[in-house]
Amino acid sequence: MTWNFDILPDFIFNGLSLGAIYGTVALALVLIFKATTLINFATGELAMLGAFLVYVLHMEQGLWLWLSMLIAMALSAGLGILIERSLTRPFDPSDHLPVVLITLGLFLILNAVAGDIWNYQVRILSNPFGKFPSWVPSVGGDRFIEVFGSRLKYQSIGIWVTLALALFILGLILNKTKAGLAFRAVSSNVESARLVGVHTGRTLGFGWAIASAFGTLGAVLVAPQLGGVNPNMMATILIYALAGAALGGLDSLGGAVLGGILVGLIQAVLVTWGGVVVFGQLYMSILQLAAAFVIILITLLFRPSGLFGTRRVERV
Amino acid sequence: MGLGGAALIAVVLAVVPFVASITGVRQASQIVIGVLAVLGVNVATGYGGMISLGHGVFIGVGAFATGYYVDGLALPWLLAIALGSATAALAGALVGLPALRIKGIHLALVTLGLAIVFQPLSKRFPRFTGGVSGSGIDAEFVSPSWWPSDTRMATAVYRYLFCIVVVGLALWATWNLVNSRLGRAMRAIRDNDTAAAVYGVDLISARLQTFAVSAGLAGLCGALQVVLVPFVSQEKFTPQASLVIYATAVIGGLGTIWGSVLGVIASTIVGKVGQAAAGADGFGPIGEFLDLLDESAFVFGVGLILLTFLFPRGLAGIGRRNQVTS
Repeated sequence: MTWNFDILPDFIFNGLSLGAIYGTVALALVLIFKATTLINFATGELAMLGAFLVYVLHMEQGLWLWLSMLIAMALSAGLGILIERSLTRPFDPSDHLPVVLITLGLFLILNAVAGDIWNYQVRILSNPFGKFPSWVPSVGGDRFIEVFGSRLKYQSIGIWVTLALALFILGLILNKTKAGLAFRAVSSNVESARLVGVHTGRTLGFGWAIASAFGTLGAVLVAPQLGGVNPNMMATILIYALAGAALGGLDSLGGAVLGGILVGLIQAVLVTWGGVVVFGQLYMSILQLAAAFVIILITLLFRPSGLFGTRRVERV
Repeated sequence: MGLGGAALIAVVLAVVPFVASITGVRQASQIVIGVLAVLGVNVATGYGGMISLGHGVFIGVGAFATGYYVDGLALPWLLAIALGSATAALAGALVGLPALRIKGIHLALVTLGLAIVFQPLSKRFPRFTGGVSGSGIDAEFVSPSWWPSDTRMATAVYRYLFCIVVVGLALWATWNLVNSRLGRAMRAIRDNDTAAAVYGVDLISARLQTFAVSAGLAGLCGALQVVLVPFVSQEKFTPQASLVIYATAVIGGLGTIWGSVLGVIASTIVGKVGQAAAGADGFGPIGEFLDLLDESAFVFGVGLILLTFLFPRGLAGIGRRNQVTS
């Protein structure tokens, strides 16, 4: 067993950037859970569809990548509103089973539709942070800078900056706009919000819209790490995001981001780096998946509210 | 509905070997054993009130275990099938352990996680699962000497009848179980676990038994898959497959044995119609869309959503009122 500390920073950087992506998708889950206490199992597939929209707009139609991303996020948001209005609003929000079934049905439909249109092959999608743009002074290489003797990838930095920016905008929306205020009111207490005149349905639609946009953002950012986009790309990411959301607390927005980052770090440091130390080789994917599952299980068993979630008094 | 429907099903099942080709008989056998997995979900979710989105996992455990017992350990078939189902039941009891504390939508989350983890995990144990590409089982389930003929068709019919007998026995046993003391305990816990505990139901043992029975049924389905096709592979056990089983149980109707049978019948009919529609040519762009109907996942997704809107209690609940199913 050799404690190879030289490569540790590499793993930490990697974990932090993957974790940021998990946090983004976890945020999409939590935005809906917080308002409705239901898990949208179609989150991953909606995000996958968003990534394919970017693929069509950017790779097939030749639009500028960032513009494609913005359009795809807007379209996903529209789809989210549409789903909320047509499929979930008719049901009593306090009865979970119908809405869970609806999101599971969506999971199957979106996956099959994407598989029908684009097949199940992996299709390359440009990396928004492949090379440093030309105005950045060259330090080390065109894809990374050297920190502590390790390579800090431009991709990682880009993901962090993007996520920080997205979180800042989300904070502005939630705290400074009327729709954001309504959303906070509904997620804190549906009945009271309704009594003071908040249109709960429209507000939930707003939540679905932001959640779908965030999911799309996460899917586009993770695509280069998976080699591209394909209809099944989000299955494992969904598990990591669920682990992050559960760990952070299913009703805590900040917790989702931190939980996602923690899951990324746990994977990179404990599982991958630890795997190298103990076994002398990489046992990447399966141990990481198992770790995510164990995180979900342990969190829900011993601290169902997660690290930052609201604790509930529950009958036994 | 009960007697007439059962008689109709019996007639159809009896006619199949006389009119169908060998492929038809094999397909019919697959449809028949599909009832077991759906019944498994029904026991856990419909009667026990515990959502399981991961029953494909228990089918997989049952199939892999049976394959290993009959091939690796060279056990006789009947014993291997029983042990394969029991192994799945054991796995179910293990999964049931967290279900003691985790409830509702959180349990759905855990079981979906299990369904996603199972496929990559089973690739890691090629000795039992054949790894990525799967492996053939070096033992065939053949008809005994008293069976009139040993042509391929006769063997297929023998396997078909064997599956029908096993599924029939399982339905009968499950029917008795859900009307037994344990079955009443299951429903009491589903409707209100605190009240059930107050009335003296042992929550822990009842929940574990429910999950074990439920997984055992799914495992039996996996064991019979090996009987029909001596080949095991992780490819079949996708998360989508698990969700389709759950969807079939819901579409048929949770909380009634009859619902599981109905769900499988309905999904078979819809699947066949979908295939036929997908095969139809000459509709231009609509024809492209019709191809989707061949995707069982798509059909089930749409069916799930439609049913939730139209018949919240599933097909078995049509025309029946005032029955509480959670």
